[in-house]
Amino acid sequence: MIAVLKRLSSPPPQTLRTLQPTPSTVSYTVSTRPLSRTLPAILAFYIGVAVRILLGASTLVLLWTKWRVSSAKSTGLLSWVFRAAGEESLARFAESLPWKYLAPSALLLLWLVLQRGYKEESLTVLRGLGLQTSTTSSLHLRTPTTRFIPTTSIQDIFIHEAFKGFEVRFYLAVVVKGEDDVVVVFPRMLPRRAVLEDVWRGARACLYEEKGRDKASLKE
Amino acid sequence: MPYNIAMVSDNFYPQPGGVESHMYQLSSKLIDRGHKVIIITHAYEGRTGVRYLTNGLKVYHVPFWTIYRETTFPTVFSFFPIFRNIVIREEIEIVHGHASLSNLCNEAILHARTMGLRTAMTDHSLFGFADAGSILTNKLLKFTLSDVDHCICVSHTCKENTVLRASLDPSMVSVIPNAVVAENFRPLSHTEASHRHNAPGPPQRLGPDEIITIVVISRLFYNKGVDLLIASIPRILATNPNVRFLIAGNGPKAIDLEQMIERNVLQEKVLLLGPVRHEEVRDVMVQGHIYLHPSLTEAFGTVIVEAASCGLYVVCTRVGGIPEVLPSHMTEFAAPEEDDIVAVTGRAIVKLREGKVRTDLFHNQVKQMYSWTDVAERTERVYDGISGALSYEEFYPDGGTGLASRGRAGVRSFALIDRLKRYYGCGIWAGKLFCLCAVVDYLLYIFLEIFAPRERIDICKNWPKKVVKEGKGKEKEGDAATAKEEHGSGRKKRPHHRREKREEQGES
Repeated sequence: MIAVLKRLSSPPPQTLRTLQPTPSTVSYTVSTRPLSRTLPAILAFYIGVAVRILLGASTLVLLWTKWRVSSAKSTGLLSWVFRAAGEESLARFAESLPWKYLAPSALLLLWLVLQRGYKEESLTVLRGLGLQTSTTSSLHLRTPTTRFIPTTSIQDIFIHEAFKGFEVRFYLAVVVKGEDDVVVVFPRMLPRRAVLEDVWRGARACLYEEKGRDKASLKE
Repeated sequence: MPYNIAMVSDNFYPQPGGVESHMYQLSSKLIDRGHKVIIITHAYEGRTGVRYLTNGLKVYHVPFWTIYRETTFPTVFSFFPIFRNIVIREEIEIVHGHASLSNLCNEAILHARTMGLRTAMTDHSLFGFADAGSILTNKLLKFTLSDVDHCICVSHTCKENTVLRASLDPSMVSVIPNAVVAENFRPLSHTEASHRHNAPGPPQRLGPDEIITIVVISRLFYNKGVDLLIASIPRILATNPNVRFLIAGNGPKAIDLEQMIERNVLQEKVLLLGPVRHEEVRDVMVQGHIYLHPSLTEAFGTVIVEAASCGLYVVCTRVGGIPEVLPSHMTEFAAPEEDDIVAVTGRAIVKLREGKVRTDLFHNQVKQMYSWTDVAERTERVYDGISGALSYEEFYPDGGTGLASRGRAGVRSFALIDRLKRYYGCGIWAGKLFCLCAVVDYLLYIFLEIFAPRERIDICKNWPKKVVKEGKGKEKEGDAATAKEEHGSGRKKRPHHRREKREEQGES
């Protein structure tokens, strides 16, 4: 019982993915997207995508039909896709639905279909250029929020703690020259300390090549 | 055996005061002795979040709403989630609360007992028994102290007061006085060379026409006896023409003091300095010859030890724990009334003029009497006692009788039923109310264990300890690297760190 409650209340598990194509470039991505390896999981994923697309498309079609019907225009386009019978029944169905119910529920449905369902935040470090933080938006089709900080204005990158709600959390922050506030990396996920330390070490090693290597050897 | 200790109080720096410096000095000495200490206090303006002080002392400024004189609003339970989080992430074993009026301290002790941690509490103040406010405070204190493992008071008077207020068994109350950092309170004439090896020279006499300066440094509140001061200053100045007053501090009574000066046209003889910072106190003190402390109630009075350490002759009221603080040759005692203060101050002035008082020797005497290292050692013994490292007989030589329902040797049991028994004895209504609070607290604890389980809380890394005396240069290098790893801004603290180390070496 207690175990069930604990599992229900637990936040989605976060994974850290590291991508280092060259020694001078590294990208860390923290994500709550579940990794699907098994066949049923992969199938479920694709079926989910298909269902979303189908749902979204049919909502749009319904809205379009309603608009055509209510402004007394021909819905001839529909007979291309469906046959004449289908067109007629759809038009009748759309006519029977009043706008005041259709519009909000269609919006809600579209919003639900576009929900991303997972969070993803990343830090990309390019030696000699700078670093870029990025946070995905909660909806599909919207671009992620990114922030690029050039090397010349990075003063430091460190891990510290802060109060967040009823907790004290670790965070990774970048000190930017000429700004009062630090830039928090992974601001929405706030991954756990072990992850942050990995990212911190890698980012420092990548940003400050020589010094970073020194420290790594000292640590060993 | 090193412990992980959390000091909890509403009062901490940047606000100046006795409790604050006590906590800071005790914590840093405990860290030197190998323990891990953190401080939990509420957020001050411009001082929020998690901070590190010298020596890796970590301070959590919990964001809380303050109501009166920097005390947080008492909500009993709202502090629990965040307190639990801090305790788990820092792996705390002992929770040590300071100042009985501090709401955070009371709450922390209740929650710590619920979580099954050892608790201690230091009481820094004296209270009355008669007025409504005191009765309420005393009930609250009783609530906290009926389930605390051990209580520490700063003087014997304070112990007596606390035992009476909270109906405690006297054997579970220890007396550990405050101390002063004597190095920060050197008299003006004091130089290292002249006082270390040479015998003290002949006493210096003050001529009859030489100006004697009387220093008063105090927050100007009613309980500090500002009214007595206001009444006696004109009379002292009338009888002793070659006397000046130097008054530092601020508070609600500052206006009365200014009015007194205006009314008696004493602007030339009484100088008001306004608020001074703690570091500046010494510079003010060394300008004077006599320190006047007219307080109406005082548990310990660190300031008079500081004054004596600066080589001032101390005139103080015989109230509270003050008579225990300094030996009789350093002080003149007065009853807390106008006539006596005037008379005793006059006597002190005469003694100084006759050269009967060797104020130049005070500094070294005080230095031998009070040291924070000693305070830390004695506090550590209390920790040993409450955590069961010392056996019951060793810790309570005269056999504590009031410690009902203890589990292991001398250690209070954490069982909820035992805790409820202790709370129930607090009073007809209060007992039941306290039991209710304890039960709700316990339920809240279980709720938190389910919805914010321990494994979801990250454990903090400890501040890297300095390795004492082996390969200085190498150690420093490794130290700095690990500090940087701990968190980037750690580097900035190193100079302070080293400076303190140097000071310690100079001291020994």
